[in-house]
Amino acid sequence: MSETLRLNGKDVAIVPGESVLELSRRVDVEIPTLCHDPRLKPVGACRTCLVEIDGMHRLVPSCATKAAAGMAIDTNSERVVRHQKALFALYLSDNVDAAETDDTSAPSELHAFASKVGAPTTWPKMQHKRFQRAGDRNPYIEYRADRCILCARCTRYCEEVESVSAITLAARGSETTIATSDNRSLLDTTCELCGGCVDVCPTGAMAEKKPLSLSLLPARELEKVRTTCNYCGVGCQMDLNIDRMANDGRGVVAKITSPDAGVLPNDGNLCVKGRFAYQFIDHADRLTKPLVRGEDGELAESSWEDALRIASEGLKRVAARHGADSLSFVSSSRCTGEENYLVQKLSRAVFGTNNVHQCAAT
Amino acid sequence: MAAKDKMERLLEALHEAGGLAEGTAAKVAAELGVPEAQVYGAGSFYHLLGSPDSRLRVCTGLSCAMRGGRKLLALAEEAGMPVSECSCLAACDRAPAMLRERSVLVDVEPADIEKADGDWRAVQGSELPEDWRGRVGPDDSELPMNLGGAQNFTGSALAKACEMGAEAAIAAIEESGLQGRGGAGFPAAIKWRAVRAQASNPHYVVLNADEGEPGTFKDRELMLRRPDLVLEGLAIAAYCLGASDVYLYLRGEFRGPWSKLEKAIEKYSEEGALDGVTFHLHSGHGAYICGEETALLEALEGKRGMPRLKPPFPTESGLWGNPTLIQNVETIACVPSIIRRGGAWFKALGATEPGTKLYSISGDVSEPGTYELPLGASLDEVAAAAGGYEGELLAFSPGGASSGFLPASESGRSLDFASLSKVGSMLGSAGVVVMNTKSDIRESVREQLVFFENESCGQCAPCRIGTRYLREALDRDLQGSPSGKSLAEVAEVAWEMNEGSICGLGQAAALPLTSALQHFPNAFGGEKS
Repeated sequence: MSETLRLNGKDVAIVPGESVLELSRRVDVEIPTLCHDPRLKPVGACRTCLVEIDGMHRLVPSCATKAAAGMAIDTNSERVVRHQKALFALYLSDNVDAAETDDTSAPSELHAFASKVGAPTTWPKMQHKRFQRAGDRNPYIEYRADRCILCARCTRYCEEVESVSAITLAARGSETTIATSDNRSLLDTTCELCGGCVDVCPTGAMAEKKPLSLSLLPARELEKVRTTCNYCGVGCQMDLNIDRMANDGRGVVAKITSPDAGVLPNDGNLCVKGRFAYQFIDHADRLTKPLVRGEDGELAESSWEDALRIASEGLKRVAARHGADSLSFVSSSRCTGEENYLVQKLSRAVFGTNNVHQCAAT
Repeated sequence: MAAKDKMERLLEALHEAGGLAEGTAAKVAAELGVPEAQVYGAGSFYHLLGSPDSRLRVCTGLSCAMRGGRKLLALAEEAGMPVSECSCLAACDRAPAMLRERSVLVDVEPADIEKADGDWRAVQGSELPEDWRGRVGPDDSELPMNLGGAQNFTGSALAKACEMGAEAAIAAIEESGLQGRGGAGFPAAIKWRAVRAQASNPHYVVLNADEGEPGTFKDRELMLRRPDLVLEGLAIAAYCLGASDVYLYLRGEFRGPWSKLEKAIEKYSEEGALDGVTFHLHSGHGAYICGEETALLEALEGKRGMPRLKPPFPTESGLWGNPTLIQNVETIACVPSIIRRGGAWFKALGATEPGTKLYSISGDVSEPGTYELPLGASLDEVAAAAGGYEGELLAFSPGGASSGFLPASESGRSLDFASLSKVGSMLGSAGVVVMNTKSDIRESVREQLVFFENESCGQCAPCRIGTRYLREALDRDLQGSPSGKSLAEVAEVAWEMNEGSICGLGQAAALPLTSALQHFPNAFGGEKS
């Protein structure tokens, strides 16, 4: 029989090794979090997930507390609720208004949770002291200090998941901020511009530079369409964020976001190409039909059937005249493992040459 | 070099490179093979590294502010010197104090600034930085720490502890009732037993000499006068816990105590009295929070000094994840006498709680200094030891900024752990600051709030935002907010800081304001004053 604990007065079976937060979410008891990400070591820094546990003098961070048999946990006691309201009121007084977050690249988790816990919004606004480096010339990522809550999801992600460590918590106290070494441009650091910092940020402090004006809708109203990245064979899952009415009704991909952590194979991670290089989708120069060079030397649109026929005839002609080893097959780095298998099959079995290579292999 | 040794060297390497100037983080990162951003992030946390030593810093701690610190600041600015304010320098008995590079200058007078003729490096205090000491009580061999007594390098207490055996020595500590003197008052013997019982090895002993609580300078004085006791106490702890490496973490401004400890280590080494223990001296770089024990461990490991979540406690997982005993300088300095004279003897010395206590007293008394008195002495008694009050008593802070303020009517209350917590205050580090009726309580509260705002590590929101929130609210009150409601949310913010903060800094940081509002309500409220 599995061990149990009491959560808000109900018995719940424990899955060995899970935290109080994981257990609560598993049984649909909501606890606000800001610094939590399942891919990162819990730090308990944002303090939003504090709960009351019988026999413990202080409120404890549910993200960093292991569920244990016999615990009696309260996630919405008077004390916890009072704490949540006051904490979020402090966050709000130190941040931008909810209305201003419409221009950020993702809906603000801070403002959503603050409204959910019923935090007062009337406390006076404070003067923030967080330094923001100016004029970072990288094309994709910007840091907006006025929205930052120092949850350090971005810096921990950069270190723990990507092993890149391009950004860090810097200074201390009221002046704590997110920085690069010597406040250099991300281009002059170890940054690979994967944009994971933008993706994990709960407030839009780490934001995509490209304005969302491409789309007419705020980020939270964009439609998400899951697809597979076609830049390489890994098969990363990603979400196209679409505004169907933009672009005179033709629709537009306003940006790309990663699915939640846990979605495989990429666990919510993307690389610079997958996340930022999507402008080709609507680009005027994009090829949408095969082109075949005619007798006159000019490229002309054709059908797939026709193009494949011409290519296979050409290959067979060369093989017949000069032998199979006069051919060489090089597959694209965008091919999957299965496609690469087929290319070498075509080369070795169909044409009978071992001249086959994959362009990402060198 | 092992990864652990590289990290241990990180902050020192940055200091040697001149602090965080352009390119130094890259240099240190290359030398140690650590990510550059990590070096930069760590360095920028520490004020003595983040804004390197090329300037004067004027202490604006409460005692220094009361003795003209802000006037010195203004004079230095007028003279065109590079100057900024800084947190308490643990020289409150020799106020006002300044920091020149890493040397603490004491009893500085306006004339000292004028004489320097615009050259900040030429500013001198009343004595050479390496020579000055504070005032203490008379030599009395019946006192466990006896600051006025002669040093003793025979190592006889360690020899006796070895003879008794570790269990018996810890039993003596337990019998003495010795409570941690850093602020929390946690029974020392429980920590010793907890580390000794850990199966994993090695075990470490760490000395917390990052004394920075405003109004407190007793550890400084102990290290200046009795480094022999400090080192022997550490050696006894190491023996009892099966540790051989002892780390001493001194705040970066403690150049005087550092050299006294270095000399004492040398002397012991000549005598061969503490063989088997290796002492590792580590310098802090300007961060009050590193007096919090887990933040101190982070600093020793070359990181930003942000407190860890507890549990696990350091006794189980401390330095480099190993079982670690961390003790305050004063706690450890009581150990040799307890071993020599017995736990019962020490316990009986107290007035309301076991043992004697070093009270640092400054502000409006005739002879500010460090006085060893029975634990539980009242303010009146401590002030009498310090030559009596100057002027008419208005208020006092019994145990550093974190203890808030108490009114004159509490001057007969025992200054111990239990009786001060009953009135919502605490003994803390027993850094007593006395204010007479010429003081402005609101200005004093502001100095303390500014201190916490600057020294919060910034990791958790209740403290990082709350400290600034309170200071801004008080500023509105000082400016005479027309609505008269500038302090409306203070009670709720203070409640949240106490409930929600990770460590003791944030949990206590609202006390200067809330205690003053409780005891001096008429001083606040905008136009009322």
